[in-house]
This record gives sequence, structure tokens and C-alpha cells, in this order.
Amino acid sequence: MSVFLVSQFPVFHAQALGKTIQGSNLSGIPYATLPTMQYGFLIDHDRCIGCHACTVACKAENDVPVGDFRTWVKYTEEGKFPDIKRNFAVLRCNHCTDAPCVTICPVNALEKRKDGIVDIDRDACIGCRACMQACPYDAIYLNEDLGAVEKCHFCAHRVEQGIEPACVVVCPETAIIAGDLDDPESKISLLVMNNTTQVRRPEQGTGPNVHYKGTSEIALKPGSAARPEMYLWSDRPNDKPEPWPDDLPLAPDARTVLDIGHKVEWGWPVAMYLVTKGIAGGVMMLAPFAAALGLTEFAHDYVPELFGLLFILLTNFLLVEDLARPMRFYRMLTRPNWKSWLVKGGIILTLFSVLVTALLVMRFSGSETGLSSLRWLGLPLGVAVAGYTAFLFAQCKGRDLWESKLLLPHLIMQSLMCGSASLLPFAPGNTALQLIFIFSTSGHGLFALSEVLRRHSTDNARQAAAFLRVIRLGPLAPYRDGIIIGVGVSLIMVVFFPAFVCVPALIGLYLYEHAFIRAGQLPPLS
Amino acid sequence: MTGIDSNKMTTVPLETFPPMEKWDDWMEYDSAAWPRKVEKRYMLIPTTCFNCEAACGLVAYVDKETMEIRKLEGNPHHAGSRGKNCAKGPATINQINDPERILYPLKRVGPRGVGKFERTTWDEVLDTFAAKIRLAIIEDRKTEVMYHVGRPGADGYMDRVLQSWGVDGHNSHTNVCSSSARVGYTLWTGADRPSPDHEHAKFILMLSAHLETGHYFNPHAQRIIDAKSKGTKICTIDVRLSNTASMSDYWLAPWPGTESMLLLGMAHVILEEDLYNREYLETWVNWREFLKAKCPGVEPTFDNFIVELKKHYAYATPEAAAEECGVDAGQIRAIAREIGKAGTALSTHIWRNASAGNLGGWQIARCLQFLVVLMGAVGTKGGTNLNASNKFVAAPFMKPPPQQVWSELLYPREYPLAYHEMSILLPHFLEEGRGKIAVYFTRVYNPVWTNPDGMMWEKVLKDESKIELHAALTPVWSETAQYADYVLPMGNAAERHDLMSQETHSAKWISFRQPVLRVAKEKLGEKFEFTYEANPGEVWEEDEFWVELSWRIDPDGSLGIRKYYESPYRTGQKITIEEYYRYIFENSVPGLPEAAEKVGLSPLQYMRTYGAFLVEEESYEYHLRPLTDDQLAGSEIREDGSIVKDGTPIGVKVGDKSCVGFATPSRKLELFSPTMQEWGWPEEALPGYIESQIHRKHMDLAKGECVLVPTFRLPTLIHTRSANAKWLYELSNSNPVWIHPEFAASLGIQIGDMMRVSTRIGHFVNKAWVTEGIRPGIIACSHHLGRWRLFDDHGADRWASAKVVREETAPGSFLFRRVADIGPFASKDPDTKRIWWSDGGVHQNMTFCVQPDPVSGMQCWHQRVKIEPAHSDDQYGDVFVDTTKSMEAYREWLAMTRPAPGPDGLRRPLWFARAVKPSPETYRI
Repeated sequence: MSVFLVSQFPVFHAQALGKTIQGSNLSGIPYATLPTMQYGFLIDHDRCIGCHACTVACKAENDVPVGDFRTWVKYTEEGKFPDIKRNFAVLRCNHCTDAPCVTICPVNALEKRKDGIVDIDRDACIGCRACMQACPYDAIYLNEDLGAVEKCHFCAHRVEQGIEPACVVVCPETAIIAGDLDDPESKISLLVMNNTTQVRRPEQGTGPNVHYKGTSEIALKPGSAARPEMYLWSDRPNDKPEPWPDDLPLAPDARTVLDIGHKVEWGWPVAMYLVTKGIAGGVMMLAPFAAALGLTEFAHDYVPELFGLLFILLTNFLLVEDLARPMRFYRMLTRPNWKSWLVKGGIILTLFSVLVTALLVMRFSGSETGLSSLRWLGLPLGVAVAGYTAFLFAQCKGRDLWESKLLLPHLIMQSLMCGSASLLPFAPGNTALQLIFIFSTSGHGLFALSEVLRRHSTDNARQAAAFLRVIRLGPLAPYRDGIIIGVGVSLIMVVFFPAFVCVPALIGLYLYEHAFIRAGQLPPLS
Repeated sequence: MTGIDSNKMTTVPLETFPPMEKWDDWMEYDSAAWPRKVEKRYMLIPTTCFNCEAACGLVAYVDKETMEIRKLEGNPHHAGSRGKNCAKGPATINQINDPERILYPLKRVGPRGVGKFERTTWDEVLDTFAAKIRLAIIEDRKTEVMYHVGRPGADGYMDRVLQSWGVDGHNSHTNVCSSSARVGYTLWTGADRPSPDHEHAKFILMLSAHLETGHYFNPHAQRIIDAKSKGTKICTIDVRLSNTASMSDYWLAPWPGTESMLLLGMAHVILEEDLYNREYLETWVNWREFLKAKCPGVEPTFDNFIVELKKHYAYATPEAAAEECGVDAGQIRAIAREIGKAGTALSTHIWRNASAGNLGGWQIARCLQFLVVLMGAVGTKGGTNLNASNKFVAAPFMKPPPQQVWSELLYPREYPLAYHEMSILLPHFLEEGRGKIAVYFTRVYNPVWTNPDGMMWEKVLKDESKIELHAALTPVWSETAQYADYVLPMGNAAERHDLMSQETHSAKWISFRQPVLRVAKEKLGEKFEFTYEANPGEVWEEDEFWVELSWRIDPDGSLGIRKYYESPYRTGQKITIEEYYRYIFENSVPGLPEAAEKVGLSPLQYMRTYGAFLVEEESYEYHLRPLTDDQLAGSEIREDGSIVKDGTPIGVKVGDKSCVGFATPSRKLELFSPTMQEWGWPEEALPGYIESQIHRKHMDLAKGECVLVPTFRLPTLIHTRSANAKWLYELSNSNPVWIHPEFAASLGIQIGDMMRVSTRIGHFVNKAWVTEGIRPGIIACSHHLGRWRLFDDHGADRWASAKVVREETAPGSFLFRRVADIGPFASKDPDTKRIWWSDGGVHQNMTFCVQPDPVSGMQCWHQRVKIEPAHSDDQYGDVFVDTTKSMEAYREWLAMTRPAPGPDGLRRPLWFARAVKPSPETYRI
């Protein structure tokens, strides 16, 4: 009868290498403070029997809500009777070396610890769920009770006491090995070195630290196996009801037969935000040219700023309202992560708000000095408001569709379209404004069409692009109808009824954004 | 960043378990507050899992502030489970915190089955049952008290209680489970279970799914994979693609019911290619009896035996087996040669699987063991051991004498060889007027749902003239508890005392189940008379319940019962549960007192602290243990090596050693079974192939006739006892019917389509799971799912059961129709509002008639069914049963039996095991 201890060798190894040792753990074994350290897991699928003990032990250890998982087992089957194999894949946070969730978190609630664990401070989290867009592995969920995100944190609360994560301890097959990947002599390092292993989605460039031995590539590659409407002994969660697009290639004779669900976290507020900030940014981009665009008197003096202020306020409202903890939005200012484009975007939106407010105050108070030149600031700030989202979406490493380099010019086109459409009622006969609308709308249309027509460079982007056409909103096909209404109808209307073109243009754009935002989140990442 | 002190890299090396010396006061950071470092202090109290039968170790973390159980992890001191668990271990906390659990003893209000209960007291319960049992004993109606157990969870405790009462009333779940395997193994060795030594095997052959289920899933799975990692090859024979099959080197999916033929095909190769263990066979097999009975006139030499054996099995060529079984002859050869290479390191296992599905399933187990015997791998290192060598049952103080009565409701004379009680036929016997039951305890037993022909159970459970008083002892609501007079809440894994041992590998261990809150509170100085005072609500434990009940049955000791419940330490005083186990640990477990002394503890304290004890580290080849001089005195050695005393073989001479041999009448491995010959089955005296009731020649696939395999299990659930675990149900919540794409297409069925599956006595409506993981021409449906309840708030856990209405559509015909899916609901557990699944599966067992094997008594589960797309008036989850056809089927199967008496007017061979064995006199009719 024995208590099972992992080898104490690494400490002595560290000592031998002259690494600093201080303090001692439970058993009186010195703590090692190694210069570099990266905790990781090896999942040995030559041993894993797919029993779900890890899943349940994790739930017990971490009080994970029903419907959410920090680790789970996906089953796939490959082959035909009787030459068929069921493969298991134990999926969870990869504790990435370059963790995109940490980069995007606006409030530093996610942290890459010095021991390599990616941990979450749920008290700090404001519930923006950007990390869920940034994670290319479906590893994060929103705890709706808390309004904060959670994920595998390597049982940091146990590890700091020198005890292995709960999933490691429970595993009947010792198929989960936890250890320091930076220590070349650790059990996990030796296993990784001496075996063929894989990581999930290496093309994402995040440096995953969960290594897989002995499972099939199909099991680890999301979207490669067909996914029936039901599973072999479970309902399939109905989080993403869209059918798999017909034209997406699937591995022959491969099926996902058991899996968990992942919710689509960003919905209409984000789609609407793209429209409202498009209007705000667009009108202010055009404001310096108000006179040339045929705006006179009140329209010339007030409309761009009034629209700018109204829609930037709406934008801010949508962003705050969409937080799971809206009352904590101020933490973006009190504990900002300057790497996050949510924070940078917040600064841009704030500067923009200050500018339009200042312009309006000056106009009201009659202090005209410098006002026209100050209005020129609206051009770069409008572009920034319109375009920063491209940089934010580029940080969403889980959404390849959004990461496109074309997104920046596309957003600026959309913003010009919104701006010109919004100003046209005030100068309906102005050819220049009509031409700007025609130009930007055509540009938007081309960019929009290119999403399904061009060849995307990753499976995830291809899948998302295919989903664009599958998504439905009531009776509408928002991608198709968004282009028909927002581009086709608008381009005709701008010739005959320019004052009303904002109606189809904005409705069409909203529909398109709905599809774009949703489609980006539909491909499986796990 | 606030809260996380990530500079302190405190983490090399990581340990698996908290150090033993800190178990009384273990600090852990609160995971809910993390990364704020909120310290929580726990007492770690070991106990034993109570989900499946494996009795794995658990350690409960008792929060010292709230005195609630926070979680359960593995127990590193447990030699079987080695600190590790399957999903059901950690899910125990769900069962403890289940918002729908029964917390107080309940008493029926109104007629049986209307679903109205009121809270009562344990006193009232005890007095009611004591009076009724006392009367039955006094009036000599000692077969009218029946204890019907689904999950024993203990070794022998109830045998003692029942024998102290002098009643013959132990009924079990065995013949929905393992009767056939038991007969197959018993005929060979006298031990009714295998104990494969997977860890050291060179080849593993399983007709089972031990990487996900079964006796004993977690401990076996650990050792199977350890062997696999060392290069051991695995062959799994299973009609559907199990996780186990998928991890195996060979997966054979024969036509269901042909497994004996498949195994004989392998035996044929082993014989023909002379791969067998000649010396072993010569010593240990009763080949002379074989020659004498089967080849009279042939000179009894071993060489002649081999010649005759080859002749006898000449029919089972790999090609013939391949033809019959639908697998490749080349594979049969390849596996047989792997077996040949493995030699004595061949571990094999069957327990339910094909044995439980088919008429003659006991021959499947027997044919599997035939391979083990051919290789000489019985009890060897890496071979297939016997449960008797690997399980340790510690004796309590004062064993009562065997009862002097024989209940024919349990062991009717039609089934003299059945292992064990004919429990599935109880309602049919009662219906026929073979007797009545005065007091009926169902204990973690749910026959209405689990057994075939559940409506017959409902019928008798509702009939107060047949079952006068019924208590359901259960931690959780069940379909059966709905019909009880009393529903008595009994503890889960961490809420009761039990002592268990299982043959998980070639060693012997015991594991102690404890009411951990009581133990923790007592460590802090509190005192309790009864465990229910420390448990949630008034959840009790059976051990104390039976002591109290027995005391009240015989308060003055005049019936001779009370003395078994008097303390061995305090004369004339009622025994406490602590004293009961103290006595066992001090007196009945070799090595325990010494081990305890070494760490400065009493034996009881040792078990309270460590939870488990390894009694014997290696237990191999018990048949080679020597006979004592006393035993040998007056014995003689016969020509065949048998050591015979007073005309009865007592051992076998091997070289110059006198060995005890096996627990068979000949003390040898009985290839030829004189018992089968003498008890009316001469044609089955050798391992052979019996065509199943679902042989494919009876089916017209084009008409949708096929076999339903309704028995396979999932890694996450355990029969009907895990419906109280939300984390298990969110992983597994439907049981669609598996069907191969070609077969489905031929019937116009696509994935997700509703199918009507019609059996002999009814039908059910379920969805199709179209999969390559099953042979074309058969269908399969997992057996845990499809729980139902008749009432809104009780009957079964709401996160696991659909609400149904039960309608009698014609006299004796019943339709259960789903009226509400599973859905979110409000409770003290916020998770119940997050329930996202709605299915819960479809009940199937109720639509099966009883099909008891005429020899073993095993319910032959596989069903001949007709499948078709659902009818227009069918609804998902419909279950329809015509009970008039039930009795017809029962009589038909009963007619296949060959009743006692056997030789000497016996009811049953004396050497066969029998649960709670009565005195030998009762064996004579």
C-alpha cells in the first residue's frame, strides 16, 4: 500500500542546475523558483478510456455549473463496420505560451502566471466575453451566476499547495500528466520528447501547452468530422442550431458522436454597435467637408456633431449593456490592459465623444474661433472609431473570419456609407454626397461579397464564410438580404430617393453585421 | 495583478494526495474564491463508493466550519482502486446534495401507487415492521419475510440478520445480471466468478466492456491499460462498438448468441495446433470422467483423451465458427494463436454481456473458461483467477445457524441449478398463488423498472393480499418506491457503514464505508446514538436499522434472536455499530491488528483513518494450497490423482504435493460435468454451443425482424441508482436505438427518426442512432436510460426522468405516454434551472417478457423484435405492454425446465452455492 507521489527529482534537478530554491512545500520539499516554467498537460490517448472522470472531478473541484465545462471528452468515430474506431479527445484550456485571451482582456482579469498557468480573476472580470472570442479552443465559458468567465486554471489553487489538479488525481488510467514543460527532465517533458504528440490547432500560433499522444488528427481538428443532430447517448446541446453548410468538406466516414455545446456569446448588440459607431464615425469623417457636401445652416453647423454624439452614446450604451457585469464597466479605466484593443477602442470612443461634445458646446456658445479647424480632427477620429474594431477583431484569435486584413478598409467603407446615408436627408440633391455613398456602398458590397467568394486561408475562416449563407434571422437570410437591401436596393434608391436611402442602407448593414458576427462564432473550435 | 501571487512558484514537485498526517486538518484554498486565497479547513475521512459494485475507495472532504461534505476524491490506501475513480466517484457529492432526495421516512397515504406519502418516524417504522415480522416468525411463516436486494454494498451482513431471524428470505438481483456466467464458471471450478489478473496478462480476452463498465470497471480498467502499455494485446468480443472494443487490438462483433461457437472455434485451433498446456490438463482436468461417460470402451489414457477431445470438437472449425458467428475465420485463428502464445498468462472475463443475453448463456462463460483451462491459466500470474481466491469476507461475531426452511418462491423446484433466486419470476409465482409475502423489503432494488415484465411487478406490488407490507430502503426515489407502503431513506456512499471486498485483482483487500459526517463530528467530540442524527435529514443506514429492528422483533430474547444483537463487549447490552465493526477488525482480519499497532491505532481507528486494508498482497493458485495433515488423515489416493476421504474427493495429488484442488465434487476442473448429467442435462455435460432464442435463423430481416441487444452500459451511469447525479446525467441522457446505416436504409429509417420496436408483449417508441458501430441486422439500446415518474415532484429525479401518464387501454394492457420532457426547474440547487437536455431516454425493459434460462435462471435479455418507422399515433417515449401475453410467455419458458428432484431427492446440488444457505435437511424434497 503506498501513497503515490510524483517524482521528487525535478527539485534536485533544479538544485543541481543552480536554480534558486526557497521555502518548502507540504512534505518539506523545497520550492523551486525556476527562471522559466511552463506548466502543461500531456493527454495520453493511448491510455485514455473516455470515462469522463476528469470532467466530473473538475466539476466537483471547481463548482462548474451544469452546461459548462472546464474539461470535457469529445468522442469521434472513424471508419466503417467492423473496421471502426472511436477516438477520445480530452479538451481544455491550452495554457498558451502566447495566450490571446490574456492579450484581449481589457481589465487584466486573465493572467499568464510565471509558472505558465493562465489564470482568471473572476472578481476582476467584467463579463465582456472578448476572451471567449480570442480563445481558439472553446476553452472559456461565461458563468452566468457570476457574470464572469471561467476556464481550466490548472487547479492553481491546488498547485500552489503542491497538489496535482483534480483531473490528474482522479484519472483511472494516469492518462493526464501534469508538469513543467520547461524542465527537460520532467516526466511530461520526457514523454513529449520521446513520443509523437500533437497540439490542437497549431496554426493559431498561440503555443498550446496541452500535448496529445495517440489520438487521431480528426478528433483534434474541429469541423473535420460530421456532427449529427444527436449524440450516441446524449442530446446534442442546441447552442448553435444552424445546420452544417453543405459545401464544407468533411473527412469521409468520420463522425463526432459525443461533445458539449458552446454558446454564441456576441449577438445583436455587437452587430448593432458596428452600425452605430459606423454612423458616428462616418458623419464626423464627412463633417470637415460639410459645406462642399451641400449641408447648409443648421445641417451644416450641428447635424454631424449631433449625429456623432447621439450614435457614439448609443455605441457606448450597447457596449456597456452587453457586459455580463455592466456596472463594472469603469474597470476598463481603473485596471486597463493597454494591449487590449477594447481598452484602446474605449480611449478612441472617449476622445471622439469629447471632441463632438466640445464642438457642440463651442457651436452653442457661439465661440466659432478654431471650430472649423477643430472639426478636421473628426476625420482621423472618425476613421479610428470606424476602424479600431478591425484591430480588436484581429485579437479575436478564435474568429478567423474577423481577423481578415480586409476588415479595416471594409469598416471604413461601411462607416462612409453610414455617414453619407445619414447626411443625405439634409442635402438630398448633392451629387458629391451621392457619389460618396455610391462609392462606399459599392465598396462595402464588394468586400461583403468577397467574404464568400474569395478563398480564405484557414479552415475556420472557410467554415465561418460558409455559415454566412446558412444563418437565418426570422424569414430573412441576413447575409444575402443584407447585401440585397443594403447594397442593391440602396444603390437604386440613392439615385431616385436619396433622402431615404439611409433606411435600406442601415437595415441592410445591420443584417450583414448580424450574419458576420454570428458566422464568425459558429465554426467549432474544439 | 491583485490576488494572484504568481511570483511564488511553489509547484515542483506536485503530490497526488494530501499527506496522511494532515488528514485531520487539511487546508485548501477555496476554489470558488480563487484567486483570492480563502483558506478552508477540511477533515479527510475515507469511505467506499456506493455506485457500482467495485467498492472503490473515496475520501470525503468535510468542511470543518460548515460540517458539510465539500467533495470526494480517491483513497490512496485502497489497493483495488489505488486512489483513482471513474466519473461516478466524484459524482457522489451530487447524490448527497440532490435537491430531490428523500430526507425522512415516508409512509403511504391512500391506496398504493397513488403517490401520496407523509413523513413518519423511525420509531413508528421499526415498531410496525417488528410486529409483523415477529408474528410471521411466531406463526412459523418463515418464508413470508423477504429481503430483496439490488445492490448489496456489503459482504454478508444481511445473511447474518436473516439467519438470526431463521427465515429463508434473501432475494437478489442476480438473475437479471449474472446467473449464467455464475453457472458457467461454477461447473468448471466451483467458484462462480472470474478474477482476471489483467495486470500481468500477456493476452486479454474479454466478453465485456471493462474499460467502461462492469465488475469491476475502475480497478480492472487501470490494470488492463497498464498491461496494454506494456504490450499486452487485447481482444474484445461485443456486438456493438464499446469504448473497450475501440481500445482493443481485436474487436469481434459476432451474431449475438453465437459466442460459444466463436470460443469453441478458438479452442479447436488450440487443440489442433497443440497449443494447449498438456501437463496441466493431465493433472487438473477430470478427463477420465469425460472418457468414461462419453467414450466408453476407450482406454483411459491422456493421449486417448486428447484424441477424443479433438474428435468431439471437430465440428467447431474456425470456418464453421466463422460461418455461424459472422466473423472472419482468419481472425479466429489469429486470436487462438495469441492465446497459445500467452500460455498461462491469459486473462479473460465474462460476467453479463452475451451470457446475460442468450438462452444457454452459461455455456458461453463455460466455453470462455475452457480456453483458460486449455492454457493452464486458472489462478496463475497473468491468468484468470477465481473470486474465491481474491476476495476476503471478514466474519462477524456469532454466526447464527442456517435456517431450517426453504422458500420455493426463491428457489422453486423447476430451477434446481439456478444461480441464484428466481427473482424475476416472483410476481408470476405470486400471481399463480404459490405463496404470499407478509413483509417485503426492497433494498436499492427497482424491479418495476429494471426487471423484465415490469407491469407484472406493478400488479403484485399494488396487491395487498400478495404483498402485505412493503418498505423500499433506498437513497433515492425509484419507480418501485412509488408503490411502497414505506419509503425509507438510506445513506449514500458517505452516509453509512459497510465492509466490502471485491476480487479486483490477484490480491485481497477490505474497504470500509463510513458515515463521514458522523465520524468527523465524533472526532470533534460529539456523540450519536444513531447515524441518522449526523446525516442529512433523517437519512439512516441499514446496519443500525437491522439491529434496531431485530431487537424489537425479540425484545426479551425469547425468540433467540436478540442474542445476535448483544454487544460482544458489554454483556446483555445492545450492540453499537462501532462495536460490530470493532469486533471484526480486532478478530477477523489477519494482519490488521498488527498493522494498526504499528501506527499506534486500534484496528477500528485504523480502518476509520485509512478506510482500507490490504489483507493479502498476492493471491495466486489457491488450488495448489496443501491439505493439512488432519485433512489427509484417513484419505486415500486414487489412480487419477484424487485424494479421497470417506468416498468424497478432498484434493488432488500433484507430484508429491497434496493440494486442495478446486471446489468441485472431483476437486478438479470439470470439463465433463457429472452434475449436468445427473440433473437432467446430459447433452450439456460438456462445454458446447446452445442456439440462442434470438438465433438469426428465426428472423426475417427484410420484414424488420431482428435482435435487440438491450443490455449495454455506459461509463457514466449505474443502473437506476445514478439518476440522482446531475453531472452524470448531463453527460448521458438518451438511449437511442443503435442501427447500422444499411439496415436502417432498408427500413426507410434515418438518424433521429422515431422507430417502433415491438417485442412479444408490447412495444416502445425510440429514436434511431444510425451508426457504423454495430453489425447490420441487429439493434442495440443502452439500459440505464428511460426513467419515468408518475408524479410531478417525486417518483424519480426530475433531471433524469420524464413524467408519464399510465393508461389501461384494455384489461391488462397498459400504455405509458410521456407528458413532460425533462426541463429546467427551480430548487435549492441553481443548476436545476440550467438543465439543457430534455430527452432522458426511453424505457425498454417493461416491454420484455420473462425469459429465464431453464438451467441458470438467467433472464435471457436479448429480444426478438420487429422494427418499423413509428406509427402515426405513436409518440416519442411510448411504452405499451399487454400483460396477458406476459403470463403466456412465462409459462412457455417454464415448460423448458427440467425440475428437481435430482439425485437423492435433492432440490439442488449440495455443492452449488446458494445465497444464505439453509440447513442440508431442507434440500430434500
